[in-house]
Amino acid sequence: MKVTKIIASLCVVAFLASMYSCQKDWLSPPPENTLIATDSTFNDNENAQRFVNACYSQLADWQVSVFSWTGISSIASDDADKGSDPGDLGTDKDQMDNLTYGPTTLSITEVWNGNYIGIGRCNQAIDNVPKFSLPEADKNRLLGEAKFLRAWYYFNLVRVYGGVPLITRVFDAEQAAEISAAYTRASEDEVYNLIIEDLTSAAGTLPAKGTQAQGRADKGASEALLAKVYLYRKNWAKAVELSESVINSGIYNLDADYAGLWRQKSENGSESIFEIQGQNAEDGWGIGGYFVHQGARGTVTDGYSGWGFNTPTTDLEAAYEQGDVRKDATIYKAGQTLWDGAKVGTDVANPMYNYKAYVSKNQENNYDDWSSGKNIRVLRFAEILLINAEAANELGQTPKAIDQLNKVRKRAGLGNTTASSQNDVRNAIWKERRVELAMEHDRFFDLVRQGRAGAVLRAHGKAFVDGKHERFPIPLTQILISNGTLTQNPGY
Amino acid sequence: MNSNQTKLKLKARSFMILLAFALTCLHTLSASNFVTKPIRGKVTDEKNQPLIGAVVQVKGTETAAITDLNGNFEIEANENDVIVLTYIGYDTQEFTVGSGNDVFFSMKPSNAQLDEVIVVAYGTQKKRAVTGAISTVKGDQLSKQPLLTAVQGIQGLAPGIQVVGSSQPGTQPRVTIRGLNTILTNENPLYVVDGILTDDITNINTNDILSVDVLKDGSAAMYGSRSANGVVLITTKKGASGAPKFSIDAYTGFRKLTNLVKMADRNEYLTYTNEARLYEGANSIPVFDNSANTDWFKEISRNGVLRNINLNVNGGTGALNYLFSVGFLKDEGVIKGADYNRITIRSNNEFTVSKRLKLGNTFSIGLTDSDNKSNGVFTDAYRASPAAPLFDTKGNYGYQPGLSAAGNPLANIELQNDFSKALRLQGSIYGDFQLVKGLVFRSSLGIDRVNNTQTIYDPVYGYGTFKKTVSELKSSEGARKYWLWNNTLNLKTMIGDDHSIDVTAGMSSEQSNDYARQFRVANVPNQENLWYLSKGDPSTLTLLSDNGYLLRQSSIFGRANYSFKNRYNLSGVLRRDGSSAFPKDKKYGNFYSVGASWIVSDESFFSKGLFETLKVRLGVARLGNDAISRLVSNELSALLSVTNTSPYAFPGGLVQGITFDQLKDAAATWESTKSIDAGVEFGMFNNKLLGEISYYNKLTSAYVRVPTPSFVDPNGILSQAADVRNKGLELALNYRKFVNDDFSWKVGINTTFNKNNVEAVRGGIDLKEGGLGNGEITTSTVQGQPIGSFWVYDVVGIFQNQAEIDASAAVTGTLPGDFKYRDVNSDNVIDERDRIFAGSYQPKMYYGVNAGLNYKSFDFSIDCYGNRGNKVYNGKKAVRFGNENIEASRLDRWTATNLSTTEYRASNNIPKPSTYFVESGDFFRINNVTLGYKLPESIINNIGLTNTRLFVSAQNPVIRKKFSGFSPELPGSNALNSGIELGVYPTSATYMVGLNINFK
Repeated sequence: MKVTKIIASLCVVAFLASMYSCQKDWLSPPPENTLIATDSTFNDNENAQRFVNACYSQLADWQVSVFSWTGISSIASDDADKGSDPGDLGTDKDQMDNLTYGPTTLSITEVWNGNYIGIGRCNQAIDNVPKFSLPEADKNRLLGEAKFLRAWYYFNLVRVYGGVPLITRVFDAEQAAEISAAYTRASEDEVYNLIIEDLTSAAGTLPAKGTQAQGRADKGASEALLAKVYLYRKNWAKAVELSESVINSGIYNLDADYAGLWRQKSENGSESIFEIQGQNAEDGWGIGGYFVHQGARGTVTDGYSGWGFNTPTTDLEAAYEQGDVRKDATIYKAGQTLWDGAKVGTDVANPMYNYKAYVSKNQENNYDDWSSGKNIRVLRFAEILLINAEAANELGQTPKAIDQLNKVRKRAGLGNTTASSQNDVRNAIWKERRVELAMEHDRFFDLVRQGRAGAVLRAHGKAFVDGKHERFPIPLTQILISNGTLTQNPGY
Repeated sequence: MNSNQTKLKLKARSFMILLAFALTCLHTLSASNFVTKPIRGKVTDEKNQPLIGAVVQVKGTETAAITDLNGNFEIEANENDVIVLTYIGYDTQEFTVGSGNDVFFSMKPSNAQLDEVIVVAYGTQKKRAVTGAISTVKGDQLSKQPLLTAVQGIQGLAPGIQVVGSSQPGTQPRVTIRGLNTILTNENPLYVVDGILTDDITNINTNDILSVDVLKDGSAAMYGSRSANGVVLITTKKGASGAPKFSIDAYTGFRKLTNLVKMADRNEYLTYTNEARLYEGANSIPVFDNSANTDWFKEISRNGVLRNINLNVNGGTGALNYLFSVGFLKDEGVIKGADYNRITIRSNNEFTVSKRLKLGNTFSIGLTDSDNKSNGVFTDAYRASPAAPLFDTKGNYGYQPGLSAAGNPLANIELQNDFSKALRLQGSIYGDFQLVKGLVFRSSLGIDRVNNTQTIYDPVYGYGTFKKTVSELKSSEGARKYWLWNNTLNLKTMIGDDHSIDVTAGMSSEQSNDYARQFRVANVPNQENLWYLSKGDPSTLTLLSDNGYLLRQSSIFGRANYSFKNRYNLSGVLRRDGSSAFPKDKKYGNFYSVGASWIVSDESFFSKGLFETLKVRLGVARLGNDAISRLVSNELSALLSVTNTSPYAFPGGLVQGITFDQLKDAAATWESTKSIDAGVEFGMFNNKLLGEISYYNKLTSAYVRVPTPSFVDPNGILSQAADVRNKGLELALNYRKFVNDDFSWKVGINTTFNKNNVEAVRGGIDLKEGGLGNGEITTSTVQGQPIGSFWVYDVVGIFQNQAEIDASAAVTGTLPGDFKYRDVNSDNVIDERDRIFAGSYQPKMYYGVNAGLNYKSFDFSIDCYGNRGNKVYNGKKAVRFGNENIEASRLDRWTATNLSTTEYRASNNIPKPSTYFVESGDFFRINNVTLGYKLPESIINNIGLTNTRLFVSAQNPVIRKKFSGFSPELPGSNALNSGIELGVYPTSATYMVGLNINFK
């Protein structure tokens, strides 16, 4: 029967076709709408830039620079209290304030994770940028930026946790065992050596401010950070050398308007050496939550209100000398009318808030209270002067130190320092650092570096234990991931 | 004739042709050469109602006939020929042709339990031969309820099937079969609609469904890597031989909110809030006006209209059977302004080309048009201040100053413009070709194509601090293109009289290709006819998302059933699946099941005392679940992929960052479930009581995210690092009593006991979830506890004074009136180490109770469902951002003068997750009550109608629950987040009247 034959042959065709579809190739189509490493990623030179952009974008991350970072760098110190309502603990900010945190505290975990994500991206960039066919100068510039940022992430980690795993390469899918092997703690010296190596390399290859695109790491930023790192290493000669290189470059100067430094108009301005960029009013990307977690909690007429954390302490308020313009630039109070006309209600939860984190709803461009456009000031020229002063003083060049110190004081509306002995000048510089850099995420680490964290913080009423609280605990989750090869810091 | 019997026949017809073929194949003798004569006869059931479509065949020949609408047939036969009469659901009869020409048969229903034919994977089987656990629900049990999808109607009708529906229009319920198998993915079963595999059945009109068969164990293994969560087979109706039959089914009614939580009124709210603020030293909260007392739930909701009408035409000429149906469903839902409309069109046809060839199609079109209103508005209503007026005196929206979250809930609805439209084409064409007798080849090509569009428009508005200064239009489109090609060979044969063999082998290929993209543009005029991307400011046009996904699967599979004396049955299934979703060395997986059953009651030694029928069965299986691959798109197959990071805001504008996802689990593959099922099925008291007891035990290796150092991948890698066991017992008893032609009744109960337990979590992974969005987490998944167990602080009382606080371990900032938590490890600090496990959302037991009766022209039925032994978390109550409204239950709070020991003080603080918020998840609900009345034939026959019924029905009229929130049915986004009432969607009850009309 003819029809039967046709049908039968159709059956055969059907079977053959469905067997064909069993072939492995058919089951391995290129992944839809997903670039893979073997694709044309490296043919598009724009991608080299994008690998480095990824290193920057982690700076603006919640874990790296916002709530948890405030907890560690500020609330744990004597500059700031937890703030907010007594019962709103901000997950763990009471623990940060009271130094009762432990290996499971979220802030401790987030700062670790956030900075290592940044390091992972820097390693990717450093690994991949050489694979592009770019002019050597462009490659070196991109590598310099990635190394600057890797140094910054490691500098955060080493200050918070001490020696941490030193990860400088990328891993691929088959290398789980190698990752475990690499996930052990290096010594603090080893971490600092990498930081110094990276920054030295970056300082050698990056263009100076003005020739480098705005907002990107440049030569001055690398030298400035390196000077700060040497200060931590007590390598006074190098600290002087590098800070002087920045000072003598003639690119930077002190802005006469201290209060204006934290407004949009002076972002990336003449005093600015490096800032985390948040300028974007249109699309809602900024340093999400940086302002709002510190903003006044309660009514703010014509302004944004916030969650009210990280409030300046009365101890900080009292640290300012009479006539110091920096006090009112750093602290605003309940009931106060702010520079932009916004009025803080008397119903707010706390008496004082951090003015340096304030953003104006009516005078500055912001997407909303969460995605505010404010940059975070990381390195300013004033700090370089103080680094230069401190290191010079340690080298016995006390008059030079006094000279630099007085430049900073003068801008603050204060007279020259009365200190003259090396020891008095040291103390005067330390005090000046506190008020000049208040609420700028430096105080806790400064106290530890200066070797007086225990004395100062106990006097402030905190149960600081020497030999323990200089370092924060290693997150328990990471110790578990490492199967125990990561060791805990003493006392935790 | 009651309606159940009608449906039984309908079901029977769909298998009629198949059976006829089977019969013709079984015997090879050619027709005899004697002189034949016409035999005329009539076939009826035991109640003398004609049986339509019964097969009448001369034994040993291919001569056959089918009874017509009046049960009549005519067939040529010789004297002394044996004529065989078969009809699904009835005992087969034989008679020898005598000298006369006219005969009359009354057929008896067969052993309803064992000889019922049920749908199984890639075919059908008599229940007798089935070796696995399959629950069947007939279409008429579903179509009487006002349901979007059939699965909602299964709730409570069969054991082992947990269904969690939603009152939200257009939403498919969540279904869990025999306990939760998976952690990250949802647990829904695979749906197979007339052979097409899908996960969305909202396009299937319940009225078009003939039966729903749920494969709960190894019987699902034919679906290999998609079988571990069970498989729901949906079979739509086919045309039945005979003259065209027209029918109309329609109902109309309304939905009404039920079980609302009583909230505080204006004065109660203000008193509480100001009291809370006083503790913080804050002033009284400002008020908008001096009188407003708004019941926000009332203002945003309404009794939503529900309307459904279906028209069905079917018939057949013998060679060509056809069915056309069209249905329209309108469900407004309970939120003001929402609207969901669905049109379904179906055409199922089957053409018998020759004795060896049959061609057919199933085809459906689904059109939906929906005006969406965000569910979030109920949560807004829960949080909004009752002291805010609906409108101010100028007609602007009212609001509560100082309360930022909720705004004006009515404004949130009225300012929302969100329209979605979808077109879905689903269907298949198939051909059955009999190669040799007993060997049938089937090829079936199915397609499933969805196109959808969505338009969202946010206008410019402003009231108080709530404003939008630039209008915004979001426009999105998406499509799903799916095809499936199955080729199967089926061999059915007998060896001798005792050995019956039924073998199916097949191959299938599938491809599914999805895309979705969304654009945004600003400054579009607020006129619906101008909501086009081109009408906005072109410089603001942005591509918000652009996703695509391709999945290919190819499989070979086979099943062999062997049956000895129709009494000892063995079944083996093997399926090998290949999938593009997994890494190159892990693309293939093998799945199997082996089962046996024994009809004990057919043994000669079995004396039919207590038991009329008795069957035991046992099966083991290895089943798979590939849902993880759909959850994470290309994450598993593309080992080193480029990931976009957050952009960075350089002064010149946003720049994009990229990085490589470094590490994947190169061994990623299916979640696999090893299961064992054992069951006893029995009939007692002349099979009036049918029962089933099943035991199951399943062990699943489930995906979780395993943390890695964050320089590798901050999200962790997906790996099967957790083992989950579900073991349980199912019981079902159904009693039917046929008293006389005027009176019959039935009652059924079923219950499932399930124990969910995490057997292992490898690598010390911390599975903590249940985030409330306020920095607090509520669940932890650890070895020895059910998945997603609540992990909270144990409230032991309330601090009555400062002295008590000073003498105890207390959380920072504790005041008199706050909770006292148990210091579990007695270290004088309240921290995470003091949390306890306080139960989980996974029920220990769930059950259904159903009853029905027919008395003369009246029919009545009631279906109930309940759930016991689980816990839910009152998340919305635990998340009270400052100054939001409170539940009335908080009014009896601790104050200096009301020293409560159970209700904590007024507070704006974020509370610790605690046992205070963990409540019982037990509930009992009447799913459906229906009362019907069949109009007297004597009257309606005159207007051309027959078999016409009026009914009134109520869905969810009664819900009894212990939970103080809105609904204890809270499946959540996945198992780690289930049981938390964070967003509010209240339950609704539906009341309706309806009509079933058949035209003469």
